Amino acid sequence: MRVWRTVLLALAGVLGSIVATVPLVANAETPDAALAKLTEDARAEAAVPGACAAPQLDRLLRMFCESRLRAGVREYYPLFGTREGETRSGYDVDVARALAKHFGVEPAFTRVNAATRVPLLADDRIDIILATMGHNTQRDGQVRFIRPHYYQSETTVVGPRAIAIKGWPDVAGRTICVTVGNGSNAQIVSHNVRLMLFDEAGVLPERLKDETCTLAAQDDSFFAYYFTQPEFAKNYEQKFGFAQVPWGMAVARTGSDRLARALDLTSQIFHRDGVFLGIARANRVGTGFLERQQAVWNRPECNTDTGSTNPACVLPALDADLQPTPFAGRVTAVEDWIEARTGVDFSLPMFKTMPAWSLFKDGIVNSLILVAGALAATLLFAMVLGGLQSSRRFLLRWPARAGTIVLQSSPVVLTLVIAAAVAQAIFPYSSAVAIGAAIVALGLMNGSNAGQAIAEAMHTLRTERGSVQGTGGIPTTELFGRAVSRSATQIVSFLINAAKGTPIASFIGAPELLSALTDITSFASGRATTYTLLLVFYVAVVVVVVWLCGRFRSWLEHRQAAA
Amino acid sequence: MMGLHIPAEFFRSLLAGMVVNFEIAAIALLIGLAFGGLLALGRLGGGAVGAVATTLIGLMRAAPTFVVMFFLLNIIPRDATLFGVGISPSPLMIVALSLVPYSASYVADNGVESLKQLRAGSPLGALQFLPNVTRAFFVLVMSSSAGAAIGVTEGIAVILREAVLLPALGDKLVLFAIGILFFGAALQAGFALMRLLQRHLGRLAMRNQAIP
Repeated sequence: MRVWRTVLLALAGVLGSIVATVPLVANAETPDAALAKLTEDARAEAAVPGACAAPQLDRLLRMFCESRLRAGVREYYPLFGTREGETRSGYDVDVARALAKHFGVEPAFTRVNAATRVPLLADDRIDIILATMGHNTQRDGQVRFIRPHYYQSETTVVGPRAIAIKGWPDVAGRTICVTVGNGSNAQIVSHNVRLMLFDEAGVLPERLKDETCTLAAQDDSFFAYYFTQPEFAKNYEQKFGFAQVPWGMAVARTGSDRLARALDLTSQIFHRDGVFLGIARANRVGTGFLERQQAVWNRPECNTDTGSTNPACVLPALDADLQPTPFAGRVTAVEDWIEARTGVDFSLPMFKTMPAWSLFKDGIVNSLILVAGALAATLLFAMVLGGLQSSRRFLLRWPARAGTIVLQSSPVVLTLVIAAAVAQAIFPYSSAVAIGAAIVALGLMNGSNAGQAIAEAMHTLRTERGSVQGTGGIPTTELFGRAVSRSATQIVSFLINAAKGTPIASFIGAPELLSALTDITSFASGRATTYTLLLVFYVAVVVVVVWLCGRFRSWLEHRQAAA
Repeated sequence: MMGLHIPAEFFRSLLAGMVVNFEIAAIALLIGLAFGGLLALGRLGGGAVGAVATTLIGLMRAAPTFVVMFFLLNIIPRDATLFGVGISPSPLMIVALSLVPYSASYVADNGVESLKQLRAGSPLGALQFLPNVTRAFFVLVMSSSAGAAIGVTEGIAVILREAVLLPALGDKLVLFAIGILFFGAALQAGFALMRLLQRHLGRLAMRNQAIP
C-alpha cells in the first residue's frame, strides 16, 4: 500500500513538473515575434491622436511619433565614426542606420565624444549612444546598456616588428606609452611595466614613429585604422591583447524602457542573422568577436525573447570598480572640506582605493630602502675605490682610476640602464632586482667621486708626512682613516647627491614613490596634488639626509682634530 | 656581438641628440644665472629678504631634479595661457626648468662667495665664478639625460632606442660604451676648458701682483 502511494506521488510530481513547464515553453517566443509585437503596439499607440503630445512619453513611442532615431556618434574615430563634409561613415554609424531602417524610421546624427555622450543622453538630446562606449560597472549607474553588446574591443600592445614581444614576461621593466585614465592601466602596472603618460590617444602613433615610445597600449579599435595604412603596418604590429571590454549601445535610464527592450531584441536578431558581422566586414573592422557572437545567438536557448537576460548568452560588464579603502569616506570628506574653504580642487587618490593605497605604501617603503641602500653603497664604494686609488701598486691604482673616469663620463641615466641590463642578464626581472641595480649604480657613481676625494686626501697626507707611512701596497688603516676624515666634506656632498638621485631609479622600473604615484595617476585623478606631495616627500627626505650627513661630517672632523 | 652593425645614421642622431643636451643645459644655466644672481644679492642683503633667499636656496638644493621634472610635467596644464598666449612648456623646456633649482642654488652659492671676494677687493677671486659656472654647465649637460624619461630626443634617448633593437647584452654594452665615449669626450673637453680658464685667471693674478 505504502509502495503504491509512493509511486502515485512520484507520478503526480512528474505530471506537475510537465504541467508547470508547458506554459513556459508555450510562452517562449522568438525575438522576432516579441519585437514585432512590441513595435506594432508602439506604432498603434503613436497613431492615436494626441498620444505624441502626452508627457513622459517612452522614447520608443516618440521615435515613431517623430519617425526618427536620434543617434549620438563620434566624428573622429577612424573606422567607427568619421565625418567628411556631410558624409558620415564607420561601423557605429552604419549600425545606427541599420537600426533606424529596421524600425522604419530615419536616423538623425549628433556628434558626441567620450566626455559628452552621457550628458547629451541625459539631456534628452539623443535617444541612443553608439559611440565606441565600453560597458563597465561604473557606467551601469549612468545609462541603460543594450544587451547583447554590439562589439568588443581589447587593449592591445603595439610596437616595432623588430622587437620580439609575445606577452607580459617580455615587457617587464619596459616602458609603455598609455593615455591617462585608460581603464587597463592598473592591469599594465601590475606586470612591472613603467608607464609614460599622454593626455590624448591621437598622439600615440606619432610618438611610436618618432621613437619617443617603443611600445604603446590602447584599444585595438583605435589602432585598427592605423593598421590599414601600409607604412604603419609594415613597421609595427600588435604584440598581444588583454582587458577585453564589451561595447554597448546605451539609452537613458528613465523613459526608455520600451526602446531599450526593442533594441535588446534587435541586437539579438542582428547578431543571429549576421547583420553586425556584415557591417563590420564592410567597414574593415575586426570580426572575431562578432563571429563568436553569431554562434551564441543561433543557439536555441539564446534565440528566444528572454535571451538578452540569460547569463549563459550575454556577456557581463567589465568590473571597473576599484575596492575602496576603509577610510575612503573620511578622505573624501577632507578633500571636500579643503575645496570648500580654499576653492582648490584637492584630491588624494592614493588614500581612496586599495590598489592605489597598496602602491603608495610600497612606494614609500621602497624609496626609503633605496635612499638607505644608496647611502650605504656610496660609502662602501668610496672606501673601496678610495683605497684602491691610494694604492702604490700600479695594477690596483690605475684600473680604479680608469673606472672612476668612466663612471664620471657616463650620464646618470646611462649608468642606471647599464646596471639594470647587467642585472637582468644575471637574474630574472623583479622589483628587487631593479632596486638592487639602482643602489649599485648610484653607489658606484657617487662612491667613485668620493673615493677620488679620499685618494687625493691620502696624497696630501703622504706629501705632508714625507711618504713615511704606508709604504708599498695598500696604505695603512690609520693613514686611510685620516684621509677619510680629511675628505669628509666631499664624502658628505656625494652622499647627499646619492640620496637626491634615488628617484631616477624609477627609470629602470624600481617601484619607488615616483613610480608608484605615476601608476596611481594613470588610473585615478588628482595629478597636481599627487605630484606636489611627491615633491614634498623627497625634499623632506633629502633635508633629513643633509642633517644626518652633517652629524656624520662633524664626527669625522672631530676624529681628524683628535688625530 | 660579431654581427654588431651600428648604422651611420645612429651617429648623426647621437650628435643631434647631444646638441639637445647642450641646449637644455644652456637654457637651465641662463635661467639659473638670472634667478641665482637675484638670490645671491638677496642673501647678501640680510634681513627678512636674506632669510627668505637662504631658505629658498636650501630648498632648491634639496629638490631632486627628476622629481621636479615630473612635478612640472604634471602640474602645468597643457592648455595653460597667460594673457591669451599659450605658456605650456615643451618637454625640452620642462627638462631645462627642472634643472633650474640646481643651477640657481649653485649660482647663488658661488655668487655669494664671488661678491664677498669682490667686496674684499679681490676681483680675480671673484672671477673664479667663471670656471665654477663652466663646471656647473657640464654637470647640467650630463643631468639633462633625465629628459629620456619624458620622451625628449636627447643623446641618451637615441642610445636607448638603438639598444632596444639589440638582443645580446654584449652588443648593448658596446653601444653604451660608445655613448660614454661621446659624453666623456664632451665632459673632458669641458673640464679642459675650465682648467684653461683657471690658468688664464691665475696668470692675470700674477701679472696684477707684479704691477706695483
